[in-house]
Amino acid sequence: MLTRGTLIYIAQRLALIAFTLVAVSFLVFITVHSLPGSAFESERVHGKALQLLLHEYGLDRPVLVQYWSFLTNAIRGNLGVSFQIRGLPITPLVMRELSVSAELGGTALLITIGLGTTFGVLAALRQNTWVDYTLTSIAVVGYSVPSFVLAGLGVLIFSYWLPTVTNGVISYPAIWTGTYGTLVELSLPAIILGFYTSGQVTRITRAAMLEVLQQDYIRTARAKGLKSRIVTVRHALRNALIPVISILGPLVISIITGSVIIETIFGIPGLGKEFVESITAADYNITVAVFTVYALLIGIANLIVDLLYTVVDPRIRY
Amino acid sequence: MAAVITPVIEEYAGGTIAREQVGLWRDGFRRLRRNRLALVALIYLTILFLVAIVAIFWTPYNPATILPNTLTFLPPSAQHLLGTDDLGRDLLSRMMQGAQISLIVGVGTSAIVLTVGVVVGLIAGYFRGWIDGVISVFINIFYGIPGILIAIILYLVLGKGLGNIMIAISATAWMDMARLVRGQAFSIREREYIEAARASGARSGKILFGHILPNALGPIIVQATFVIPIAILTEAFLSYLGLGIPSPLASWGSIASEGYTALPLEPFMMLWPAIALSVTLLAFNFLGDGLRDAFDPRQRR
Repeated sequence: MLTRGTLIYIAQRLALIAFTLVAVSFLVFITVHSLPGSAFESERVHGKALQLLLHEYGLDRPVLVQYWSFLTNAIRGNLGVSFQIRGLPITPLVMRELSVSAELGGTALLITIGLGTTFGVLAALRQNTWVDYTLTSIAVVGYSVPSFVLAGLGVLIFSYWLPTVTNGVISYPAIWTGTYGTLVELSLPAIILGFYTSGQVTRITRAAMLEVLQQDYIRTARAKGLKSRIVTVRHALRNALIPVISILGPLVISIITGSVIIETIFGIPGLGKEFVESITAADYNITVAVFTVYALLIGIANLIVDLLYTVVDPRIRY
Repeated sequence: MAAVITPVIEEYAGGTIAREQVGLWRDGFRRLRRNRLALVALIYLTILFLVAIVAIFWTPYNPATILPNTLTFLPPSAQHLLGTDDLGRDLLSRMMQGAQISLIVGVGTSAIVLTVGVVVGLIAGYFRGWIDGVISVFINIFYGIPGILIAIILYLVLGKGLGNIMIAISATAWMDMARLVRGQAFSIREREYIEAARASGARSGKILFGHILPNALGPIIVQATFVIPIAILTEAFLSYLGLGIPSPLASWGSIASEGYTALPLEPFMMLWPAIALSVTLLAFNFLGDGLRDAFDPRQRR
């Protein structure tokens, strides 16, 4: 499977990801550092003391020099230190938050794919019936209603209108214990985030399934007397899932964007919440670090998706 | 039956076999009229625009003033149709102002994206060479980077304000438009009528805006429509996080955020912006789908 061509392709893509990371982090770094204020502004240090503080963090150097030292350190895995919590190393902080976000995002991704493909297949099998119309309407609502609206409605329904049904486990304000929360605490945010992106999957699966069901080999499979369930799962669904893989990249992006607001609302200590907090607190080293990690995640996700393609569809070669 | 057939025969007899000549707009709107969902969306959006225009001159109360002798979190009543918020401000007035801000941001961003994206895309697709190379590399770097995150950072740098929020959202949104226009220009510039125009001595500017642009207008209109809900969503997203429209200006995003905080006391406050945002985004998406079917039939899904 791993031919020489594939390896060269992977190497090229990795080089491209590295280039993108440098370019994006440079632009964000320059933008953020062009701001006049700093994290120390709220501490009301002035004159000599401020100069000393800026010097300590290397903020009195030219921006390009600052970026160069950020870049060389980042390559060695050191993303710098926080301003707000003086001298706190960012790398361990970001890694921990990344694992929390991965917990939420991964669960949401599973929910998205599970829900989306199920809905899509059902809608395609029952095309132009009320089942189809209901499921496609849910999909449209899913991608038109903002994630924070869904979050608000979810909390409203489960903690305010139906507290007896959920036995009061979903509360307002949302609780998140420890670093990784409990399964119950994870459920509502993950379902909301997953539902928000599932509409895209439903739409793609439905279209792909309808197209596959028209193919000759499906007719052949039916003609030779296979059970309809086997035809649906083994012949149709497998081939219908190929286009679904193509939107995994955009899905990861949607989930990252959604997680920023979902984590903030539900108080989940992940990357998204950190991103928003670092901006409000003017802790720019963290802003740049989180952004770079996001760009890396997206680059790798897109690469994995493209490689998955060759696995599920042998016709594609790089 | 005969009465229906007769004029057709006459038309053929007159030699007008070709379809009646209609412009892009009339043809498009004729097809749009047949799409019931898009039509309903269009009617809703027209009403929303009227509400936003009315809000310039009149709202039931001043959306920013904390009303004297008014209790906070009043449920909907005859005096306050949508109730009052956490500070005792009239929610209907604030929702009307929110509609105004959403539409200004949506349409304004779309206009910026349209201008920048079309110009850059045309230049890249028509002149090719190193200009195209530089523009393409720049666009590809940002491909896949979430636009909302860029908008948050940029808005922070630019400072608070309606104009700046539009610039911050446009900063990444123009790229999709430029990519689309570039592709269109790429293929249209090879057509014979462009060659004819060039042969007859037309200047590049004339060819770009007089020949290529009009022939790419369909997909451009569709793309510009889809920018509006993205911009509205981004603005609401920023305002929800408290990084958007400065208070006391009301945005649907900030009302939703305040409403979420007040959830145990008064669920209505969160419900209004939630409904308004959802229906508006849905309407723009339906309209965009309808416009795509009407103006850009090749892209039909």
